[in-house]
Amino acid sequence: MSEAGAIVLEAREVSKVYVSGTVRTRALDGVSLRVSSGERVALSGPSGSGKTTLLNLLGTLDRASSGRILLAGQDVGRLGEAELADLRLARLGFVFQAYNLVPVLTALENVELVLLLQGVRPAERRRRAELALDDLGLGELLHTRPGEMSGGQQQRVAVARAIVSEPEIVLADEPTANLDSKTAASLLDLMQQLNEERGVTFLFSTHDPRVMERALRVIRLLDGRIESDERRAP
Amino acid sequence: MSALFRIAWRNLLRGWRRSAVVLASIVVGLTACFGILAWTVGLGHNGIDLAVRTHLAHLAIHARGYHADSSTDRRIPGDGAAVLSAVEREGLGAAAPRLVGDGLVQTARRNLSAVIVGVDAARESRVSSVPDSLVEGAYLDAAAHRWASRLPPIVVGEEMARRLGAEVGDKLVLRVPGDAGAGAFRVRGIYRSGSSAFDRSFVYVTLADAQTLFALGNAVTEIALLLSDAADAPQVQKRLRGLLAAEPPLEVLRWDERQPRLAQMIELMDQFSWVFYAVVFAAMAFGIANALLMSVYERIREFGLLRSMGLRGSRILLLVLVESFLLTGLGTGIGLGLAVPLVAWLGEVGIGMGWFSQALGEYGFSDRIYPELRPGDFPEPIGMAAATALLAGLWPALRAARLRPAEALRHV
Ligand SMILES: Nc1ncnc2c1ncn2[C@@H]1O[C@H](COP(=O)(O)OP(=O)(O)OP(=O)(O)O)[C@@H](O)[C@H]1O
Ligand SMILES: [Mg+2]
Repeated sequence: MSEAGAIVLEAREVSKVYVSGTVRTRALDGVSLRVSSGERVALSGPSGSGKTTLLNLLGTLDRASSGRILLAGQDVGRLGEAELADLRLARLGFVFQAYNLVPVLTALENVELVLLLQGVRPAERRRRAELALDDLGLGELLHTRPGEMSGGQQQRVAVARAIVSEPEIVLADEPTANLDSKTAASLLDLMQQLNEERGVTFLFSTHDPRVMERALRVIRLLDGRIESDERRAP
Repeated sequence: MSALFRIAWRNLLRGWRRSAVVLASIVVGLTACFGILAWTVGLGHNGIDLAVRTHLAHLAIHARGYHADSSTDRRIPGDGAAVLSAVEREGLGAAAPRLVGDGLVQTARRNLSAVIVGVDAARESRVSSVPDSLVEGAYLDAAAHRWASRLPPIVVGEEMARRLGAEVGDKLVLRVPGDAGAGAFRVRGIYRSGSSAFDRSFVYVTLADAQTLFALGNAVTEIALLLSDAADAPQVQKRLRGLLAAEPPLEVLRWDERQPRLAQMIELMDQFSWVFYAVVFAAMAFGIANALLMSVYERIREFGLLRSMGLRGSRILLLVLVESFLLTGLGTGIGLGLAVPLVAWLGEVGIGMGWFSQALGEYGFSDRIYPELRPGDFPEPIGMAAATALLAGLWPALRAARLRPAEALRHV
């Protein structure tokens, strides 16, 4: 994890144009932003405003049409696919709206997989994965497969999976969208707690005002442009 | 890598229906491959066995040059007694003297060309199965004097008897080329060797009668040698050559030297089985590729997820290939597990060829085939199965590996 306050992620004049057939969609149009270590940022905006697109670009899951993205100071546009995979493995954690887990693996195995890919030794891997799940109140579910968990439990396991490798930033695309409000609130509690107590940097997208309330900074997107970027007192 | 195996394996279990169908097709295909191969090898050995047991024997001693020009002019003098006693003294195997010559078999109505074989009945029964294959009458045994006929006895094959319309007790005339003339014989027995081609042409008379017919004094043309183990033929051949160096110029040949085509038959059939393999494995490859493509398509999101976690595309490729190999390996294992005992069992009881047996008989095969597999028969199909796994898995694996993470994650 980076020192608090250091810039983890930066977008400079990033645009993204999707071309499908003759239709060109400008999903992002000159977006610039910086996220520092320890921040808790919400990316909000109506449907189609470009939230997912921006998170994908920041997460190196897709390439920008123009502009630059810097991850810990490194220009990701210059890296090849394999290098990007290694970069994600080392520095990023993801939580998606749903289907975050490998269906054939248990909770523990899902969490361990990241550490395994990082080359952590089996005993250490096991210890850290169990600890991560235990901390998130999932000690009972170690050997359960995603299909046998509730949506809220799956999302918690996904958070455990995202933070177990201590990434520099966790990118979460509408992590609560599929949850009922109570479960959503408890997941938000969890993320807030991780951010406050362990300094995990979060950037999550949402169009739910209750989620935005939990952020210390809210970036509003509209038609692929940043409409506002406001910090709030905790 | 072990995680890839675990994921691959569990994915196969999760899609067990599809896996089972693919497995079944691999098992059936492979079992069919091994079955056909074993049958072919069995057929080849059957043809060889039959030829060896009826007339080729394992080794044959002739006057030098006989193999190149099989004429009764090339003979072993003195009933071959010197050679016989040498063979028997050394305990090299069962030996029998023969006088083999071409001739005609005639009845009032018909002429058929024949191979006339003069034999020593007691010895012949130790090197040939013909004396034990009578369907009617009796063989040319030593009790020939009890033969209630003026005419000397002859034993003919069932097919020749049928063509001549002859039965036991009927009179036949043998005519041989050259100065020698003809002789009348009476059918003493009718045999069925299992090869109608053989039964159509080989007739047996006593050695003495043959010597008279061909006017050869006490000469024979051949001494046939049957070993207890065919595999010893090359060694025994060597020893015999040494032993017989002192005798008048003789040649000692193995069955596969006398009939190289017969020996090559199995090889030929082996090559044919490749064609069969290719068809089976091609069909198999389509089945596997199809199942894997479906499985890949259903898991596009999962591949996106794995990529987001930092799994490289090349690992995704490997993951799908591992699934292909697991599936094929498992199918091959089960296929072998079924095919080997099945072939072993069929090798014991044999397969009756039903109405094919007549056609097979025409080519010198008997009507029961005993399938068999040799250790060398396994590497090829197993190698082909591995190649199939690779080829069939490659396309789906590339599809999965080339997915762009963001697009894969958008997939529903
Ligand atoms: N792969 C794609 N091909 C073509 N157009 C796309 C693609 N992905 C997104 N878009 C378009 O780009 C725009 C931004 O989409 P994006 O998914 O980033 O919005 P979003 O803010 O995440 O919306 P939502 O709240 O519905 O998830 C939309 O108009 C969308 O239709
Ligand atoms: Mg979205």
